[in-house]
Amino acid sequence: MSVAVLRPDSWDLPLFLHVLGATLLFGGVIVVLVLTVAARRGQTASPMLARSAFRVWLAVVVPTFLLMRIAGQWILSREEKQLPDLDNKGWVGVGFAVGDGGVVLILLLGIAAWLYARRAGTGRAAMFAIVLASIYLAALAVAWFAMSAKPGS
Amino acid sequence: MSKYDWLLFFHITGAFFLVGGTVMAGTFTILALRRRVPSEIAQLLGLVRLSLPFIYAGVTLTLVFGLWLVHAAGQGYSFGDAWVIAALVIWVAANAAGGMGGKRQEATLAEAKQLAATNDEPNGELATKLRDPVGLALSFGSGLMVFAVLALMIWKPGA
Repeated sequence: MSVAVLRPDSWDLPLFLHVLGATLLFGGVIVVLVLTVAARRGQTASPMLARSAFRVWLAVVVPTFLLMRIAGQWILSREEKQLPDLDNKGWVGVGFAVGDGGVVLILLLGIAAWLYARRAGTGRAAMFAIVLASIYLAALAVAWFAMSAKPGS
Repeated sequence: MSKYDWLLFFHITGAFFLVGGTVMAGTFTILALRRRVPSEIAQLLGLVRLSLPFIYAGVTLTLVFGLWLVHAAGQGYSFGDAWVIAALVIWVAANAAGGMGGKRQEATLAEAKQLAATNDEPNGELATKLRDPVGLALSFGSGLMVFAVLALMIWKPGA
């Protein structure tokens, strides 16, 4: 039987905030990726686009990552009261890997976006930002597969 | 993995695409609102179009797999449940509002491109169109309705 079937009402708010944070984060990272690609392709508008990419990282990506991660911990603490063996589930491990391991990727993405903005839309930092954002989007997709389908549970 | 797990996965994938696309459209619009030069406004409003494939995919996946889940989940859900009807009504309203807001934004984008090609100087008329309260209410209202549907999916009032 799926965990969702047994979900008590007290899990609703942390679950909503966790899903909201994750979906907003997904959109935020795509925006940083698109702005960086557009800045690399553009000419006159490149400095503005590069600055915008860093601002979006700061104003959207960081807060939504924190919302996703903190709400994830909140719901896990609720779930563990009813499902004591939860830490050993593979899908929870994937969530931790993307959540905690993702901190490094998110920080590196911010540094790359900041360097690119500081150099007014020129330099190699854009390529790092594009690669890091793409890797993180793929990791998020793996996490939402693990969280929703819960393979092996 | 059960059929329910797969249906839920594709339904949630739709939610990621829909909310992600909404964030893209909203963020590019907010960034455009902060600019004054027509070429910069045109560049940012032009990026809003990239959100459309995400929104269309999200709209389709959430609806198809959402209805399938109601039918096949075996959890006592019914198409007559208040939360299902409310979600469908808000889903339709969000799409309608987003579509109408998008059309107004297309007109602003066309004007920004025209000004960028001729005299790329800040223009009062363009600034007014960009801040059109009806267009902004439709576009951002559509986004808020998407979040309301997400809330309904979690709380399922009356289920």
